[in-house]
Amino acid sequence: MYSNIVIVDAIVNTGWFDITTLSTLIVSIISIAIVLYTTYHRKSRDKFKIREIAGLKAVENAIGRATEMARPVLYTPGWGGDIQRSTTIASMNILSYVAEQTAAYGCQLVYPTHDPVIMTVAQEVIKESYTHSGYPDRFRAEDVTYVSSSQFGYAAAVDGMITRLKPASIFLLGTFEAESLILAETGNSINAIQIAGTDSTIQLAFFIVACDYTLIGEELFAASGYLSGDKSILASVRAQDIMKVLIAVFLLSAVIWETVATISGISGGSWWMF
Amino acid sequence: MKHLKSRHWIFLGLFLVIGITMILNVKLNVRVSPYTQKMFDYIDSLPPGSILLISFDHEASSLPEIRPLALAVLRHAFKKDLRLIGVSLLSEGTVIGYRLMQKTAKEYHKVYGKDYVYLGFRPQYVAAILSMGESLKETYPQDYLGNKYDQLNLLKSVKNYNNIDAVISIADGSLTTHWIEYGHGRYGVKILGAVTAAMVTTYDPYLASGQMYAMTGGLRGAAEYEELLKISGGGARGMLAQSSAHLYVIFLIIVGNLSYFITKRKGRK
Amino acid sequence: MNRKVPLAVCFIFGVVMFIQYFSQHPTARFVYKSILDYWQIIFAFTLILGIISFVNNNISQIKRGNNTFYRIVAISGFLIMPVVALGWGIKTGSPFMWMFENVQAPMQSTVFALLAFFVASASYRGFRARSIPATILLLSALIILLSRSNIGGIFSDYLPNIADWIRNYPSMSARRAILIGIGLGSLTTSLRVIIGIERTWLGKD
Repeated sequence: MYSNIVIVDAIVNTGWFDITTLSTLIVSIISIAIVLYTTYHRKSRDKFKIREIAGLKAVENAIGRATEMARPVLYTPGWGGDIQRSTTIASMNILSYVAEQTAAYGCQLVYPTHDPVIMTVAQEVIKESYTHSGYPDRFRAEDVTYVSSSQFGYAAAVDGMITRLKPASIFLLGTFEAESLILAETGNSINAIQIAGTDSTIQLAFFIVACDYTLIGEELFAASGYLSGDKSILASVRAQDIMKVLIAVFLLSAVIWETVATISGISGGSWWMF
Repeated sequence: MKHLKSRHWIFLGLFLVIGITMILNVKLNVRVSPYTQKMFDYIDSLPPGSILLISFDHEASSLPEIRPLALAVLRHAFKKDLRLIGVSLLSEGTVIGYRLMQKTAKEYHKVYGKDYVYLGFRPQYVAAILSMGESLKETYPQDYLGNKYDQLNLLKSVKNYNNIDAVISIADGSLTTHWIEYGHGRYGVKILGAVTAAMVTTYDPYLASGQMYAMTGGLRGAAEYEELLKISGGGARGMLAQSSAHLYVIFLIIVGNLSYFITKRKGRK
Repeated sequence: MNRKVPLAVCFIFGVVMFIQYFSQHPTARFVYKSILDYWQIIFAFTLILGIISFVNNNISQIKRGNNTFYRIVAISGFLIMPVVALGWGIKTGSPFMWMFENVQAPMQSTVFALLAFFVASASYRGFRARSIPATILLLSALIILLSRSNIGGIFSDYLPNIADWIRNYPSMSARRAILIGIGLGSLTTSLRVIIGIERTWLGKD
């Protein structure tokens, strides 16, 4: 016991561990443990089911519509994100599924982006999806393009593509900022079926008004598990739910404690503000 | 005229409403919101010589809205004899930020290198924010004009965020969120925001939780700030056009609902 | 092998970045600072990738006669700005600054201004009192709109206060709930990537 204390003391004193980050470390370890447990505990993960997400259910119909109308599908991840952003990664997962479908239906998939790295990764994802579907020859690298890093340069370029190509279906999935409504309203003006999703609360409001289906925040992250049916990915959605319950319990306890402490005049009642 | 759809009439109406009100030179009374007041009070309370880092996190597109806001904040800071360090996390904001600082510094007879410096642009905003928290000198070995970091008097005492009183992010997008998450979250630096009106509600939760210290937003924020500074500027001038556009949208919502109910009634009959 | 190396690199850097957060030791700071430097350097290089793709794509489309006019305008803009900047510099009064202020900035502002027109048409179409929740949403929007314009105070002194209440309580709590969900979603997605469960970014298996 004593030696343990000495080791901990040494770690803290030499600066190897910053004691001010202790609370973050504890919360991180709990979160990681929950994710690992739900992912690798086969028994519990196999029982888990995810509710239907209307926006994702509509993906196939949207691609089918484009095929029937002999028009392309346009998919864009928005201007706000880069490749390390989890929204972009979630968007790539949906792109992979959409690309498989467009490959199978023989429908053109156009993917304009503002970021060269996203463009390269998207090219790879789409190419692999086309190969996976058995139609590698249908992949056209020039349909996955970098247009501009400037926000409204990007918005103008994508708007131009929408008005010229008149895609039957538009996917606006990723990190969007002020360009969201400009793109969604242009899509609406050509009567395209639009499926949108983002993690920005303010842009969600715009998408809900202008698009046919909107994935709200975390639905975007659940998409890859939902579409692929991969149990280990679905398990992380369950981890999110468990953490949400824990946060709700914590918040509720803090509110009750703070209320009681204020009424009864107990000092030091803010233990929860660690 | 026949090929014009209802959408086009709406656009034309908005164009006329804004166009006409822009010509009129009417100044509306501005009620200062608690949000802007808090931002103003904070900058006002800083002792002369305090250092603020101003980050120009916007592009040229939002200039009509951002410019009055940025000018008001910069004028306030220079008026209070605060020392300013300018940076930009978006390449397009770099030259705009430099010119705004230069213009306001001139108005208050401030000296470059002593009262203000401009460090310019660094790519990859998350890495740049984190890197400045470690060492400003290593992130910017030289300033926008090519002067070495150590040659600039103001920067001699600045190692990282510990030597800066607050960061003001002048933004038209979500870059202020990165300042909050990484600048404040990791290094504890105080974050203030001067943002476009569309972004104001995005930052409300951060403001309420204290992760963001204060914020002012949009043309209205600029007008309020100008009111507090007792100067006239672009904010107050733009308020009439903005207010009339709001009224026009309200009018459209009412017309939309009337037509909806009339169509519904006809359908029933 | 093709996938194992990037997955291993991703795992190692993910773990290193996580651990360094909890340490102030000079070695940890050095590793962290070096990663940040490389991050910025790599980002700068990726821009070259974008330029090559942009030029290639536009030239091949011009050859095919696909929207030739737009493609020529795009390529011209791409060439003119750096040439002017390299030739005459970017100081005040230079041709670059003239073009930035009189061509690029107004064009971008115009696209941004489209937002106002689209907000108007979307409001006309979207805000309908179809149900009780939709009516509540509609009324809230009207109150906020009135209070954000300076005319709100004319109707009632209470209007701005009601608008602040809507912003600070019902609206804020909904946004916080969404933000918590997004935060947790980001956390699990990042963990999935670091552990290697999530591999779509490498292409399909």
